[in-house]
Amino acid sequence: MSLQFLADGLFAGALIGLGAVGLTLTYSILRFSNFTHGDFISWGAYLALGTVGALTGWIGPAARFMPFSFGWPLIVGGLLAMALTGLLALLLDAALFKPLRRTGHGIVMVIASFGASLALRAMLEFLFTSEPAYFSRAIQIAIPVGLGIRVTPDQAAMMGLALVVVIAMHLLLTRTHIGRSMRAVSENPALARVVGIDVAAVIRATWLIGGALACVSGIMLGLTVQIRPQMGFDLLLPLFAAAILGGIGSVWGAIIGGLIVGVAEAGAVQLIGSEYRSAVAFVLLIAMLLVRPRGLFGVREG
Amino acid sequence: MTGVPALVAHGIEAGYEPGLPIVKGASVTVGRGEIVVLLGPNGAGKSTLMKAIAGLVPIARGTVTLAGAEITQTAAHRMVRLGLAFVPQTENVFTTMSVEENLVLAGHVAPASVRAARLAAMLELFPDLARQRGLAAGRLSGGQRQMLAVARALMIEPHVLMLDEPSAGLSPKLVRDVFAKLVEIRASGVTILMVEQNARAALAIADRAYILADGRNRHEGSAAALAADPDIAEHYLGLGGADASVVGRSAP
Ligand SMILES: Nc1ncnc2c1ncn2[C@@H]1O[C@H](COP(=O)(O)OP(=O)(O)OP(=O)(O)O)[C@@H](O)[C@H]1O
Ligand SMILES: [Mg+2]
Repeated sequence: MSLQFLADGLFAGALIGLGAVGLTLTYSILRFSNFTHGDFISWGAYLALGTVGALTGWIGPAARFMPFSFGWPLIVGGLLAMALTGLLALLLDAALFKPLRRTGHGIVMVIASFGASLALRAMLEFLFTSEPAYFSRAIQIAIPVGLGIRVTPDQAAMMGLALVVVIAMHLLLTRTHIGRSMRAVSENPALARVVGIDVAAVIRATWLIGGALACVSGIMLGLTVQIRPQMGFDLLLPLFAAAILGGIGSVWGAIIGGLIVGVAEAGAVQLIGSEYRSAVAFVLLIAMLLVRPRGLFGVREG
Repeated sequence: MTGVPALVAHGIEAGYEPGLPIVKGASVTVGRGEIVVLLGPNGAGKSTLMKAIAGLVPIARGTVTLAGAEITQTAAHRMVRLGLAFVPQTENVFTTMSVEENLVLAGHVAPASVRAARLAAMLELFPDLARQRGLAAGRLSGGQRQMLAVARALMIEPHVLMLDEPSAGLSPKLVRDVFAKLVEIRASGVTILMVEQNARAALAIADRAYILADGRNRHEGSAAALAADPDIAEHYLGLGGADASVVGRSAP
């Protein structure tokens, strides 16, 4: 049996993991399951498509970094798109979630986010149609790395990026004031206020960071498959599975959960066929909730 | 008590749901440099009054002033910047963070130039915490946790320190330790308002006391006078001596 599924699974898993990091942060600080997170991923990809298009339209086509399929416009455009996706999340919070937070219960927020998710997806379809779009049509040659595994240069770059992002998130949460404040609000919002933390500011930071991370996974997804309006929504189940597997609130847990889900999905595709792919995340999710609801690295009941 | 009092709560009406006051017009005044204790039966509304002053429970009526400036509707997170520190009765440390992180987080409101010195000062004042600085606060003993909560509050060098049952769940020896620390802290110029069930031990270090029942002031007076009043002793102080330290409840 070929070990290729390992490489494909780890790549998909890194992408799922990055999305799950944002999801786990918003969940632990805002205390509701945010269904729009998948749509932030789609919006992130489209926003990057837009910023890259605008940059190349403005300055002209740029050479790509061989052997990768992309050049500096994707880097600069990606950073811009991360900021824009963060702003989109902030905007949605100000318009929808903030008013509900005052009165609403968790379930009201979940349902509101479900509605917002439909609306965000419909807007993408309206703006960009459901025709697939691409960052680049350049064909990537997969390079053999041993054991019969082949990896494209883009995949390798994205894995590296995912690692950098997770380490950055880890440092943010453990070494900076805003990161410690986020952990404080997630554990005990009342005590956080008592020690002088402006909870509203922490919530804004959380949306910004969650949106930006969703954008990164959107770009990763866009580089490997086609960009379509429902691509992020389709990822929702694996995202939740990864976040719960790793333990709500745990950044490393979300990434490791993502890798487990990614590899399990790829393995299942190879062993029993692609029809069962989406069942894998579901089975993992349910199994974890039954066996260990707080997840691998969680501190609280999920 | 001379000059402008450090903290005045006047005619406070506060509760968790609109139209359902728990504190029904209570008043407390704390002079500069005083230790004042708030006594009263379980459910009297002592914690609710403390939380209302700290900005965690909405105040429907009444005013709170800190050194003469009104702070009634000030958001809780701004209180520490005004020099008012609060140690809640339960869940008063971040259990998933280390001892040091708890202190660093609280010290952030201070100017960057003094933070390191404050942390060092706290670790010196509480040697137990210095030994455990890397440990998650959730793994401290009840007494150490209470010390951490107090140290955390002191990181802002407050003018007024409010403590809700700092001795709850502690052994008699630790109760004495905590109260000795509080006397030390007051000597450094901090004004203290605290709720206590260890009434006799608290009265022994306090200047004045208030007794709250059903959300209202019931008695007030100098700590010595209240401790000596047989009627009050029978109803509110328990019958034991200062060191019997009848601790009614276990740690949270
Ligand atoms: N978070 C809350 N939500 C709703 N009601 C509450 C809440 N906390 C306390 N109460 C109610 O307010 C009343 C007073 O509680 P409070 O905690 O202020 O009393 P206390 O005097 O501090 O008592 P104790 O000595 O037991 O600590 C109680 O009847 C309690 O049920
Ligand atoms: Mg109480």
